[in-house]
Amino acid sequence: MIRVVTDSTSDLVPADAARLGVDVVPLTVRFGDEQFLDAVELSADQFYSRLPDTPVQPSTSQPTPEQFAEVYRRHVAAGDSVVSVHISSKLSGTIQSASLAAQEFPDGAVRVVDSTTVSAGIQFLVRAALDDIAAGAGHDHVVGQMEQRRDRIVVYVLLDSLTYLQRGGRIGRAQGLLGGILKVKPLLRISEGEVHPEARVRSRQQGISKMVEMAAAQRPLEALGFFHCGAPELLALIEPRLRHDHPDVPMFSGQLGAVVGTYSGPGGVGVGLLRAG
Amino acid sequence: MPGAEAGSKLTVLREPTLEVGGEQVLAALRSALAWLQANQEEINDLNVFPVPDGDTGSNMYLTLRSAVEEAQEAAAPGSAASVLAAAAHGSLMGARGNSGVILSQILRGLAQGVGGQVRLDASRWAQGLREARVVAYKAVMRPTEGTILTVVGAAAEAATKAADESVDIVTVLEQAVRASHAAVERTTEQLQVLRDAGVVDAGGFGFAVLLEGMSRSIADPEAGQSAPSGPRRRSGEGRVQLPFGTDETLDTPRPSVRRGAAAVEMKHEGWGYCTEFLIHGPGLDTEGLREELGALGESALVVGDSDVVRVHIHTGEPAPLIAVASQRGRLSKLKVEDMSAQHHEVLERADTADVRSGQGQPATDTRRKQLGVVSVAPGGGFRDILVSLGADSIVEGGQTMNPSIEDLLNAVRSAHAENVVLLPNNGNVILTAQQVDGLVEDVAVRVVPTRNLPQGISALLALEPDGTLDANCTRMVTAIEHVHALEVTRAVRGSAVNGHDIKEGDVLGILDDQITEVGDDERTVIDAVLRGVVPAPELVTVYRGEQVGQELAEVLVEGLRGDFPDTEFELHVGGQGHYPYVLSLE
Repeated sequence: MIRVVTDSTSDLVPADAARLGVDVVPLTVRFGDEQFLDAVELSADQFYSRLPDTPVQPSTSQPTPEQFAEVYRRHVAAGDSVVSVHISSKLSGTIQSASLAAQEFPDGAVRVVDSTTVSAGIQFLVRAALDDIAAGAGHDHVVGQMEQRRDRIVVYVLLDSLTYLQRGGRIGRAQGLLGGILKVKPLLRISEGEVHPEARVRSRQQGISKMVEMAAAQRPLEALGFFHCGAPELLALIEPRLRHDHPDVPMFSGQLGAVVGTYSGPGGVGVGLLRAG
Repeated sequence: MPGAEAGSKLTVLREPTLEVGGEQVLAALRSALAWLQANQEEINDLNVFPVPDGDTGSNMYLTLRSAVEEAQEAAAPGSAASVLAAAAHGSLMGARGNSGVILSQILRGLAQGVGGQVRLDASRWAQGLREARVVAYKAVMRPTEGTILTVVGAAAEAATKAADESVDIVTVLEQAVRASHAAVERTTEQLQVLRDAGVVDAGGFGFAVLLEGMSRSIADPEAGQSAPSGPRRRSGEGRVQLPFGTDETLDTPRPSVRRGAAAVEMKHEGWGYCTEFLIHGPGLDTEGLREELGALGESALVVGDSDVVRVHIHTGEPAPLIAVASQRGRLSKLKVEDMSAQHHEVLERADTADVRSGQGQPATDTRRKQLGVVSVAPGGGFRDILVSLGADSIVEGGQTMNPSIEDLLNAVRSAHAENVVLLPNNGNVILTAQQVDGLVEDVAVRVVPTRNLPQGISALLALEPDGTLDANCTRMVTAIEHVHALEVTRAVRGSAVNGHDIKEGDVLGILDDQITEVGDDERTVIDAVLRGVVPAPELVTVYRGEQVGQELAEVLVEGLRGDFPDTEFELHVGGQGHYPYVLSLE
C-alpha cells in the first residue's frame, strides 16, 4: 500500500489527517524560549491569539530528519511505500530533512516530492494522491501525477497589513507592496515555489474581489481551497462568491497555520486553486 | 484674378489685401493674443459649472501666448508658413486644458493648410481654416456640436465661400469672424448644459475672439502694432541674431521638437552653454533686460512683454546670467545645455552608420528604467503620497492650473524610462496628456485616464514595476473602476445644475464628477453623499486641502466615524487648493 506523508504547513488539521489516513509531521514554532510542535502543541487559533501580544517575533524551524524517519520506518516496516510531499523548498528547509531521512530506505521505498507550494496547495496534492491511490495507481504514477499537478496550483493570500511580513524580515520581493504613506493590504501569490507580490489594495473587499476574479479567470478548475488567518468570519466574504462562480468544483476550507501565519499575521484570507489539467 | 471682385456681392471700400507674409501673420497672432487677453475673464465667466476648475479663457490665452512666443522665433520670419508652423509648435508645447489642446490643433491645421507658402492669399487662408477644422475634429474623441469645433467649422465654411467671391483677405477673414460669432450664439441652443446655464460656449467664443483679433490686425496693421505685445523683432535696426538658422525653412508641417539643432552648432560652435529661461513679471522692461543680459553673453534673444520675457543666450558662464535675471523676476523653464555636447549628439544622429562612444543613445538607454510613472498633483501632500507609491515624476497642476503639454513632456523625459504611464488625475488634463505620446520619439507614453486624485492613487497602487506597459495599463484601468471620488468645494458662482439651485459660496459635494449634494457645511454634505453610496464604502480616505488645518479635519473625520461605524476612515494631507476635502471611497 502507498502511504502519504506531509508536514504541518499543509494546514491539514489532525482530525482531517486522521480521517484521510495521512501523516502530518509538525514543524516547530518558537516564541522566544518557548517552543511548540505546530498544530500539535499549539493550534492555529492559539497561535493567532498570541501573535499580536508577543514581544518577540515567533520563529519556526523545520522538522528534524529523525521526525520523518520515525514515520517512514513505521510504514516501510509494515511493507508500505511512502510518498512524502512538503512545503516548497524555496520557502523552508523541511524537504531537506525529509530527503535525508528517506535515504535510509532502499529502492525508493520513500519518495519525497517538493510541492512548490504551501497550505491549501499541498492539500490539493495530498487529496489528489489519495484519490489516485484509491484508484489503484502505482508508486511512480502517484509521484508523477504530483509533479504534474503542482504546476497547476496557485495560492493567493490577502494580508491585513504588511506589519508581520516586515517584522519577520521577509519583505524581500514584496518590497513593491509597500504603500508608503497610505495603509495598504498586500495580496501575495504563491506559485512556482515562491511568494510573489501580486497586488496592493486599500480595502479587504477589493482584495477579495481580486482573488475571486483571478479564480474565475483561471477556469476550468479541478479544486478550490479557501482559508483564513485567525479570522473565520472572513470566510463568509469569500466562500459564497467562490461557490457561486464554481458550483461544481470540490472545495475545502481551513485556517493558515503558524508557519505561514508568522509572516501573514492575523486577519488574512486566501484562496488556493488547482487548475484542470 | 483682379476681375473677380468686380461682380462680387461683397463690396470692398478700401484697397484689397491680396497677400500677407510672415510679419503680418505674426502681428495677427499677437493681436489675437491681445484680444484673447482682453476677453480672458469674460471667457472664464462662461464656465457653466460652479466648481473652480481650469478656466477656458486662461487656458486659451496661455496656449496662444506660448504660440506667439515661439512664432517670434520662427526660423524664417518673413514666411507665413514658417511663422504659423512655429506658432503651432509653440501652442502644442504650451497647450493647457482641453480648450488649449483643441486650440493647438486648430493652429496646427492652419499651419498645415497653408501648405508651406511664404505669402498667403485669401484662398490659402480659407484652406488653412478648413484644415484647422479637420485637425481639430480629429483631436477630440467624441466631437460634439455646440463647441469650439462648430465655431471653427462655421469660420471655415464662411471663409471658403467668401474666398470664392473675393481675393481680399480682410473680406474673407471678416466673413469668417462674423460666421464665428453667429455660430457662438447658436451654441446655447445646441448643448443642454449651455441652455440650462443660459450662456454660450466658452471655447467657441474664445476662438471667435481670437479670429477677430487676427482679422483686425490684417485689416489695420497699425491697430495690430498697438497691441500689448513684445518688441518688434524685425524693425529697421537689423535682425536680432537668432540662435537658430534664420533662413531655415521648416519643410514638414509637423513641428519637430529638435528643430534647428544642427544649425546651432554650424554657426556658434564653441560658445559654451546655451541658456534659456523665462522671466515672469509683472512690470518687466524688455528693452532694459535685453541690454543688461545681452552683455553677459552672445547671440542674445530677449523677447516678451511686461508679464513674461523669454531669454535665450549663449554664454560661457551661465551662473552670473541666471543670478542677474533672477533679480528681475521669477524664473521658469530654465534650461542650460552644453553646446559642444549638443553638437556631438547632432553629429551622432546624422551619422546613422556608426555609434560612437560618449553621449550616444546606447549609453543613455542602459540607465533608463523599463517603466516609469508620471503623475499630475496639485499639492504637497498628494505629491508625497504619489511618490511614495512609486511615481517617478510629478507635474504641478490640477483643478485650476492645468499643466501644459510641455510640462508633461518634460516630466516624461525626466522619468528616464523607456515606457511611461501618464496619470492626468483631472478630467481637464486628460486630452493634454494624450498629446504627449507623439512628441517623444524614444519613450512609449500611455495615458491612463484618471479623472481625479483618488483614481490616480488607485492606479498607482496597481503598478507592477516589472510588468509591461500594456499589462500595467490594463491593471490600472481596472483599478480605477473600483474607486469613487468625492470632491468637496465651494461654489464660485451661482448656477443651476442637476436640479440643484446653487448659490455662490454653497458647499458642493461632487461624486465622480457629478454635483450630488449642495449644502451649507462640509460635514453635512459629505454625510449626505456617503449615505447615498451603495454598497457602503469599506474605507474612506480623506485628503484635506491646503486651507484646512489638521485639527479641523480631525474633528470632521471623528464625526464621520461616529456616523458610519462600519466604515474605516483615514486622514491624510492632500494639500490641494480650492477643494477643502477630497475623499476616496473604496
